[in-house]
Amino acid sequence: MDKKLGVYVCKGCGIGDAINVEALSEAIEGLDVTPHLFKDVPVLCSKEGVDTIKADIEGEGINAVVVAACSPRVLYDVFDFPGCLLERVNLREGVTWCQPPGEEDTQMMANDYLRLGITKISKSELPEPFKPEEEISKRIMVVGGGMAGLTAALEGAKAGYEVVLVEKEAELGGWKAKFYKEFSAPYNDIHDLSVTSLIQQVQGHDKIKVYTASEIDKTAGGPGLYSVDIKSNGGSAQEKIGAIVMATGWKPYDPSNLEHLGYGKFKNVVTNIQMEEMAKAGKIVRPSDGGPVKKVGFIQCAGSRDPERLPYCSAVCCLATMKQATYLKQMDADSQAYVVYKDIRTPMQTEDLYRKVQRDGAVFIRGEVESVSEQGGSLVIEAMDVLLNDKVRLEELDLVVLATGMVPTSMPAEIPKKEMPAEGGGTELREVAPDSGFFSTPALRLQYRQGPEIPTLKYGFPDSHFVCFPYETRRTGIYAAGVAHRPMDSTQAKSDAAGAMLKAIQVVEATAVGAAVHPRSGDMTYPDFFMQRCTQCKRCTEECPFGAINEDEKGNPLPNPTRCRRCGVCMGACPERIISFKNYSVGMIGSMIKSIHIPEEDEEKPRAVVLVCENDAYPALDMAGLQKLRYSPFVRVIPMRCLGGLNLVWIADALSRGVDGILLLGCRHGDDYQCHFIKGSELATTRLSKVAETLNRLALESERVKVEEVSIADAHRIPEILNEFMETLEGIGPNPYKGW
Amino acid sequence: MTKYFLYSGCSLETSASNYLISVESVFKALGVELREIEDWNCCGASISYIGANHLSQVVLNARNLALAEAQGGYDIVAPCSSCYIVMNQVNRELGEDPALMQKVNSILAEGNLTYKGSVKVRHVLDVLYNDVGVETIKSRVKKPLKGVKVGGYVGCQTVRPYGEYDSVERPVVMDRLIEALGAESVNFSHKIKCCGSGIFLTELDYGYELAGNILESATSKGAKVMTTACPLCQLNLEAYQERVNKALKKSYNVPVTFITQLMAVAFGLDPSKDACLDRNIIPVEKALKTAA
Amino acid sequence: MAQKASSKYDPTFAKEVFEKVDSGEEIKKCMQCGVCAASCPLADKMEFSPRKIFTMIRAGERQKVLASKDIMLCTSCYTCIVRCPRKVPVMEVMHGLAHHALRSGFVPRKESSKFGKAFWDCIYKTGRVDEGVAARNYYLADGLVAGAKRGLEMKDIALNMLKHKRMNIMSAIPGIQGKKIKNIATLQKMLDKAEAMGKGGSK
Repeated sequence: MDKKLGVYVCKGCGIGDAINVEALSEAIEGLDVTPHLFKDVPVLCSKEGVDTIKADIEGEGINAVVVAACSPRVLYDVFDFPGCLLERVNLREGVTWCQPPGEEDTQMMANDYLRLGITKISKSELPEPFKPEEEISKRIMVVGGGMAGLTAALEGAKAGYEVVLVEKEAELGGWKAKFYKEFSAPYNDIHDLSVTSLIQQVQGHDKIKVYTASEIDKTAGGPGLYSVDIKSNGGSAQEKIGAIVMATGWKPYDPSNLEHLGYGKFKNVVTNIQMEEMAKAGKIVRPSDGGPVKKVGFIQCAGSRDPERLPYCSAVCCLATMKQATYLKQMDADSQAYVVYKDIRTPMQTEDLYRKVQRDGAVFIRGEVESVSEQGGSLVIEAMDVLLNDKVRLEELDLVVLATGMVPTSMPAEIPKKEMPAEGGGTELREVAPDSGFFSTPALRLQYRQGPEIPTLKYGFPDSHFVCFPYETRRTGIYAAGVAHRPMDSTQAKSDAAGAMLKAIQVVEATAVGAAVHPRSGDMTYPDFFMQRCTQCKRCTEECPFGAINEDEKGNPLPNPTRCRRCGVCMGACPERIISFKNYSVGMIGSMIKSIHIPEEDEEKPRAVVLVCENDAYPALDMAGLQKLRYSPFVRVIPMRCLGGLNLVWIADALSRGVDGILLLGCRHGDDYQCHFIKGSELATTRLSKVAETLNRLALESERVKVEEVSIADAHRIPEILNEFMETLEGIGPNPYKGW
Repeated sequence: MTKYFLYSGCSLETSASNYLISVESVFKALGVELREIEDWNCCGASISYIGANHLSQVVLNARNLALAEAQGGYDIVAPCSSCYIVMNQVNRELGEDPALMQKVNSILAEGNLTYKGSVKVRHVLDVLYNDVGVETIKSRVKKPLKGVKVGGYVGCQTVRPYGEYDSVERPVVMDRLIEALGAESVNFSHKIKCCGSGIFLTELDYGYELAGNILESATSKGAKVMTTACPLCQLNLEAYQERVNKALKKSYNVPVTFITQLMAVAFGLDPSKDACLDRNIIPVEKALKTAA
Repeated sequence: MAQKASSKYDPTFAKEVFEKVDSGEEIKKCMQCGVCAASCPLADKMEFSPRKIFTMIRAGERQKVLASKDIMLCTSCYTCIVRCPRKVPVMEVMHGLAHHALRSGFVPRKESSKFGKAFWDCIYKTGRVDEGVAARNYYLADGLVAGAKRGLEMKDIALNMLKHKRMNIMSAIPGIQGKKIKNIATLQKMLDKAEAMGKGGSK
């Protein structure tokens, strides 16, 4: 593309007072590209300002626009020029608002940022959206026909999308349909099952195609392009699918681990699921002799919140007990319920049901169960009552109900093993990790290089980034809903399902125009592979957080662009640097670093390159500016899509040019990671750990390169982090390669 | 002229006579007419539960409410916090529970009385602040209490339990009234902590501790005079102050007034006849004069 | 050593409380959060906080609850009522329990019950409370000599009050009654009826 560059500098919001625009225009002399136009405008975001740019695009043929004004995170709808390359240079939050006005160092900072911006645009090309040969499908498959699946299907159909619903059992309705009564709003009583009418609506909807007693045999392709083989009753079918809602639900926690509460030892100790079955069958009786049930002990957190068993709270067992105590009383007014609990968790309006059960006369005992035993054919619970600070004994119980929790169906009964490289060479069979894609119970059977199922968090629930992206899994276009996603009750499952379906709709619509879904929503670029130089090292296929890249038998990468989230982790992974985007590449960032002006050693103006994650750290920097927090004028910020795109060549380039240090600001990694691309910041840290040796070899101090974790709420920490790094660099002294 | 029933209650008849007289003087000065409910009986206070059941207390108060309703139905203003809270609570219960109202009326029939639920029960602070108003009070001030640091001790029952005219946890009405008199209102942590109430009669040590905490909290924040709107609060903080000092090895010597006494002084009324300062055990005059 | 279980959560006493104690059924709403205990000005003087009393009721500890001094250690400050997130009128329940205990032959707090009875006696006999009479009768509850002795202990307070015209000297004289209200006879009829028709009453 032949670029005709227009540079527009805004003088509003204090920029004009802090920075000398004349000097700015001089500072960009000598760069690879010379602007065709350089203009300063009093208020660039005003109608006059925007019209100036538009007129130049029309009249002067400007096709590359540099807007040197506020942060790219604001006014993106104002500075929008279709068909033009656009680069935003952050002179407001990034310079004017965090540096003293009119100072030499402030000016030098602005000069460098404009140089960076112009260099970047000179290395950019307009993206062409990915258009596969095959037609994009906007049909959405819902896996699982329980409360969440049925709701998702119905919501999708109501929004006008064709839905394919696949249920492995012969009947729709999941667990819910097997239960007696439900708790739902209004919570002052229990209600008839609402799932019955939901099933009817789904079955009667002409946009929903229902497969029952069916399983998924194979899921190939990617968003917009899935080809799903469905196996049912000997027959099989193939469906073209655009996105998937995974509502595969839950199974009860295995009660065989609850022998300490009498399960398996005494017939009259049952789980809450067995209680439902009895109620559904019409009569609650003592399983031992069919006798009447008058006194019932409910044991809450049976196995739950127990590090040895099910460590988490399932958030529904308390309410299930409230429901059961309610129908127990309704079936027999003389019955008496005792509830032994750690905490009763009935959030929001559901507390009304707790109140009702209290009014009905149930006795709540806060404490730990010490034993369940049998005495004269009845059961006895002994517990430590923490409020009485005394041991209590509940006698003559006809039934003990264990309130067991929920486990996602994706959680395998036994952890699968896989051939993996052994330490001393060769291979060995080892247990796979939850986030490997090989951990789960078969459900989707994906044809993905990184495993057939959705990677999960440690308890087996698939998730990617709970805080910022609810519903998302680590596979683009596949969204988890209901208890497959996290423990929840059916009311929550319904809203969760609607949310997941909306995400599914979003991905098919974005894919149809070649755009990414968030966090880079709307991005039209995707990675290009310069295959001639590929060495089949498989690093890109292994490190892609979304499993977007498959490989052929020889180990050549086979990208699936519709699965791509455009994070650039593959770009950082490739040792041959053959992966790049139209407006983001190793060479581009390298050139940008080179365009930073490095003052002579005797000027005592050190320089640090700060590579910043654009998802959390960059907004935090913006907010630091917004709060007018001051920080060192010697840092030069370069945003990255994700720190996972870090290529070590930048470090080498920067240091050899005389940059005194390199600081990386990215998201927290580890168990409670905050990285929007799952492992990006972790990968960057791993890669950097290898740099230290190189630095030492070059007689450079390893402290010159550092990673810091920054969250979006960390604006107040920004000055401290940047200033401390600059102090460290000052302590070490200038880079000896300066001026070479 | 605005009319109210003044329900003086038993304490104001004797131990808080300075409260009663100052209330009457201040309301007169403000142009508010107060009437007595003819043949009123005791509200039962907060300890009737020992001698009687709850319904008995409801009946005691319903009788007064019925009398008030029959004698003109004006709002009842109760200077005693205990009278106020008990009567107000019963009135509320009756209003919310028609079955209780019916039962109570069947009992009131013994005296040919019936209660429909039309009467309102108000605290003296409520009437001063919301009906009379701070501006009117300010305009009536002749001798502003300039420079006097007053610890407005609200106590517990004065604003509870329903927070009808002031916040139950952070009341401001007392402070605004103190400021309207030209004095400086001192903020202190024990503003709404219990003074011990009737515990002084049966568990003296506990009473000393509770009252001592309040005196400490107010004086440590600079209060030179304290003021209350409850007979028992005043009694416990003032009449027992010397005993509190002995028990806790302290030397508090802070006058404790009723808000209406301060008001009478600021209005320029007679210090003994109207404000009844001479009925306070710990002398007040000096604390008020030093400042002026 | 394994501790022996001392409570069996016998519901009989809880039922008694629900049916016979004023506001007794309100404790069903308690969720054991402890805000009442944290708010009570006398909590640190108690063996059993209100929260614990409620648990003990549900656990069936009749003897312990009705004999507990703590159900009568109440200044009626209403703080527990104001703060209870479940709107349990904690103070009312305590009053109800105390009344029920006294009626059932327990004397949780001797002094408080003597004073309370003297107070109520005034109301019942005259319709109003003459503070002096109530206090005198309270002191005299244990006989003339003990009463005089206890009265003397409070001499400083009494003299101060007398001196400042806040006490009636006549009230101190044994046998003297306060002034009766006009319709004391019908009031007494009303109170008799209320006692009979109230919770736990004869009707």
